[in-house]
Amino acid sequence: MRGFWVTVKMGLRMYLRDRGAVFWGIVFPLILMTLIGLAFGRSDSPSFTIAVVDQSGGLLGRGLLEGLRQVPVFRVEEAGDTEAALVRLREGRLTLVIVVPGAPSGEPIRAYFDQARVTDSQTALVILERFIADANLRLARAPQTLRLQATGIAGRIQLRFFDFLLPGILAMTVMQTGLSGVTWVVATYRQRLILKRILATPAHPAAFLGGLVGRYTLTSLFQMAVIMLVAVLAFHARIVGSLATLGALIVLGTLVFVGMGFAISTVSKSPEAANLLGTAISYPMMFLAGTFWPKDFMPKAMQPVIGLLPLTPLVDVMRGVSARGDAVTAYLPGLAYLAAWGAVSFLVAAKRFRWE
Amino acid sequence: MPIVEVVDLFKRYGDVPAVDHIGFVVESGEVFGILGPNGAGKTTTLEIIEGLRRPDGGRAVVDGVDVQQHPREVRSRIGMQLQQAGFFERLTVDETLQLFAAFHRRALPGSDVIHRLQLDEKRRARVDTLSGGQLQRLSVAVALINDPRIVFLDEPTTGLDPQARRALWEVIGSFRREGRTVILTTHYMEEAQHLCDRVAIMDHGRIVAQDTPRGLIRTHAPGTTVTVLVDGGQVRFDALPGVQTVQQANGEVILLTSDPLGTVHALMELNRSGEAIFHQLRVEEATLEDVFLQLTGRRLRE
Repeated sequence: MRGFWVTVKMGLRMYLRDRGAVFWGIVFPLILMTLIGLAFGRSDSPSFTIAVVDQSGGLLGRGLLEGLRQVPVFRVEEAGDTEAALVRLREGRLTLVIVVPGAPSGEPIRAYFDQARVTDSQTALVILERFIADANLRLARAPQTLRLQATGIAGRIQLRFFDFLLPGILAMTVMQTGLSGVTWVVATYRQRLILKRILATPAHPAAFLGGLVGRYTLTSLFQMAVIMLVAVLAFHARIVGSLATLGALIVLGTLVFVGMGFAISTVSKSPEAANLLGTAISYPMMFLAGTFWPKDFMPKAMQPVIGLLPLTPLVDVMRGVSARGDAVTAYLPGLAYLAAWGAVSFLVAAKRFRWE
Repeated sequence: MPIVEVVDLFKRYGDVPAVDHIGFVVESGEVFGILGPNGAGKTTTLEIIEGLRRPDGGRAVVDGVDVQQHPREVRSRIGMQLQQAGFFERLTVDETLQLFAAFHRRALPGSDVIHRLQLDEKRRARVDTLSGGQLQRLSVAVALINDPRIVFLDEPTTGLDPQARRALWEVIGSFRREGRTVILTTHYMEEAQHLCDRVAIMDHGRIVAQDTPRGLIRTHAPGTTVTVLVDGGQVRFDALPGVQTVQQANGEVILLTSDPLGTVHALMELNRSGEAIFHQLRVEEATLEDVFLQLTGRRLRE
């Protein structure tokens, strides 16, 4: 394998001097993780701000206010004017506006919510409905025949958002390295006749291409280490499974997606076209494969497609191992499917590879 | 002793023959030039001999090894300077030579090669900061790194300024003094005339003549050329004293003559009598340019 190690060594030097590669491999995933974490990560302990407009000025309003203040997830404000409160609701600063009608007239208590924010509104409404039902029962002095006591327990694994997000980000980074990085690099080497220069030496071409694969494997492991470190130190993400297993999965993922990158670079005429094609494949995959949020969030009709994406099994197994400490053996079919993608990619690349 | 033998080589791209049944022999230790205009098939010929392209017919034997059967063996014995090929732009000159040294079975110390090509000041400079001339020298350095017996140079001085070209000629001259065989392509006739022991003139995929530069001139353009720019008038140039051939290109008339003095006298006479008006008159020893003109009716660079 004359030429393998020197390709790895010089490849690593080139990587460290390439700000673009370091940005896409480390900085970009960290930015994504931060943004997505900020957007979704706080749903662990929801709290809803609600405004009560008391038009009764009497006992009913007072009682309701007191009662609502006891509900732990509600932050209750008193509002004087319904219109002003509704404006704040539209602006997203309130979850509910509750209007208590004046003088007993049989008019209902009105609750306004923002239809655009379904999840928060529905949750708050359910809590409110239960609260009203309770109050009704108490007013009717009905005997409490059935009682429910809900007790929260800490599960063996408390999956918090960053624990969930980190393995997805790692899998995405591996995919990006292959589909955006390798496609660009190999197509550029070809266009600038650098590959031809390599071919002009007596070394076996496989030594050089293998050296490229080696280079990307090592940079992927390095990127994984940095991203993990930041996730653990800055976002308190927890990694339950073994780091060695995760490393092995990163290596497997890198091999597969580097293979796909090679294959894509062989069907494109220019580096720009190769990069565009790689990006066109990787971006939808990034959003569909359960990288940032559970796959179930996607429509049912999409599920069969999601199951076929090569990124999906990598995200699944990495998340299982990292966040839940699952054994890799539980994911063998997915891993086999992923490996098959890799094998096919390398076959296509080997068959179609052009040096110039 | 022949070190490179090319026999009836043929290669076509689509229906167009790029290399049209050519053959030549290069002796060990000589500098052999393939001279021709762009698109003549020089690079294709070189790349077939280097084992980078498969011919559609014929064969090439380098240092006793058949190129088609053992391309990798051939590549380990030769050094190649490729036309227009790039480098890893984020590596330094030093690292680039280290990289290519590691692809070969044996290699000269990088520092020696760097010194010979006067790249010492740029050793630690990244390749993407080098000038065109420096890149060209690095390209030759890569061709030399495995200490080859045969060096192939594909248009080594194209795009260089005259000073850089002279410097590279020096290096190529030193290859010959070390007993290396050099095969180069060029479309500069001065380069072929200055550097080469023997020259093959190539046009449209064919070798139209091959010999020493002197021999080519003696055979195809003996004597002297008289060049004039004609401005009106009908003149039978071939009737002038000593004139052997008449070529016209770009408004110029180029007369190959065995009696330069007689020819010039006759031209001056015509000019004085007003039978024809000439601007500029040059009298030169014939060059390979004239040989090419005689053989193809065209100039090397048009």
